[in-house]
Amino acid sequence: MKQYLQIIKNTWAEMMMYRLNFVLWRVRWVVQRLVVYFLWWAIFAGRQEVFGYSQSMILTYVLLGNIVGTFVLGTTTMDIGGVINQGNLSNFLIRPINFFRYYLARDIGDKLLNLVFAVVEIALLVFLLRPPVFLQSNIWYILLSVVAIGVAAFLYFFFSLLLGFFGFWSADVWAPRFLSFVIMEFFAGGLFPLDILPQPLFHFARSLPFFYFIYFPIKVYLGQLSLTSVMQGLVTGLVWVGGLWYIARLVWKKGLRVYTAEGK
Amino acid sequence: MTLTFNSFQTSLTSRTSAFLFLTGKLLRFVLFGVFLFALFAKTSRIADYSVLQAVIFYLTYNLIDTTAQLFFREVYRFRQQVVSGDFDLVLVKPSSPLFRALAGGADPLDLFMLIPYVGSLVYAVSRLGTIEISTVGLYVLLLINGFLIATGFHILVLALAVVTTEIDHAIMIYRDITSMARLPVDIYREPLRSLITFVVPVGVMMTFPAKALFGLLSPGFTAIALMVGILFFFVSVRVWRCALTKYASASS
Repeated sequence: MKQYLQIIKNTWAEMMMYRLNFVLWRVRWVVQRLVVYFLWWAIFAGRQEVFGYSQSMILTYVLLGNIVGTFVLGTTTMDIGGVINQGNLSNFLIRPINFFRYYLARDIGDKLLNLVFAVVEIALLVFLLRPPVFLQSNIWYILLSVVAIGVAAFLYFFFSLLLGFFGFWSADVWAPRFLSFVIMEFFAGGLFPLDILPQPLFHFARSLPFFYFIYFPIKVYLGQLSLTSVMQGLVTGLVWVGGLWYIARLVWKKGLRVYTAEGK
Repeated sequence: MTLTFNSFQTSLTSRTSAFLFLTGKLLRFVLFGVFLFALFAKTSRIADYSVLQAVIFYLTYNLIDTTAQLFFREVYRFRQQVVSGDFDLVLVKPSSPLFRALAGGADPLDLFMLIPYVGSLVYAVSRLGTIEISTVGLYVLLLINGFLIATGFHILVLALAVVTTEIDHAIMIYRDITSMARLPVDIYREPLRSLITFVVPVGVMMTFPAKALFGLLSPGFTAIALMVGILFFFVSVRVWRCALTKYASASS
């Protein structure tokens, strides 16, 4: 346990090493959220309701999307492809440390640091922009949304891990990751609540794991799902986590068989 | 031409990668279009623009953005040149370092993407009804002006990279801000609208050409747009020259 706590601390030190890089990374996150926020603010000009959402609901969705997105999608597993391609994976294989747990610890460090900054940024934006936000008063919805966020974080961790394992078979790991970003940008619900889509497209989106990254946890928080739907969603999310974990382990074992430590 | 040819060859070395990138770019274009249509299915008009006009704004944004990425893909690779010291080798050569850093590596995938954008734009414009040649000419002129502003933005990002070695997030912040122009900047409220029209001239770059096409841009604003474009470009070149005087080589 101590070694994984040290890994978390090392991750923080690493992230703060290039401070300008980190600051601009945070600026970028804020700019992205502001773009979405102002878009919806403009759409609601002269309107009380759009797609069954009030202005406060949508703006709460967008602002929460920043916090949830920062926590769920913040990851260090994007390095894995490069680690494999450059042969640096050998360093991990000879150490008495579990590769999956190592990157999980790094991810926890990454997520915690980004979460702290995201909360401060959102608080600042709320103070400056004074949007009409919706505050959930039902403690159960709050707790369930926290659970949903946890499930989403694990889901994205294993998904990103799998993308990194492309490195075992290809020198180019960025192309599949770029494609996944494009798909996630739409189907994770960061830009808009997915239920504004036509029903066939919404049902398709619900069948994908990205549905549980941002859209589902925020819907739980907003209290717009029945308890049954929430439970169904959480169970489905956990099934996805289990499935991706299993596939990740399978791909990891197959990858190790073909790993040749090229570059070392 | 040689630099472009070499860059094209490099980019197409891995056909699988090229296919995945192309698929991603196409999907991004289509999926935002789906969002646009979903929006207009419920709202019918946004800021007094119809769905067809919104589509033309979106296609104009894609045209300028993709053309800039086509020519200036090398900007995304510039940081590595600076931190490794390879930029020294560019500086000692008898060619413009700005041109080399800016346009030394065109991206063929963006060239392929221009085909559906231009095709869709021509189709969408044909659906507008009667269009005068003068408004089309004005549209093309303001597209060129938009490209000039995009060039200015990329030069500023290069200048920042020379001074700080930070470019990755800077160029993506530029992309995020310009993405606000996927819809006409008129939809945003003041003071944001003025900010992204004249201070950070995204509106001049992306929205004004389409407004000219619809006959909604006055001669006064057209003149202002052209002045902003030219001025912005010249200021960015001055900033680049100033940044070069501060360049400290990593090693070479």
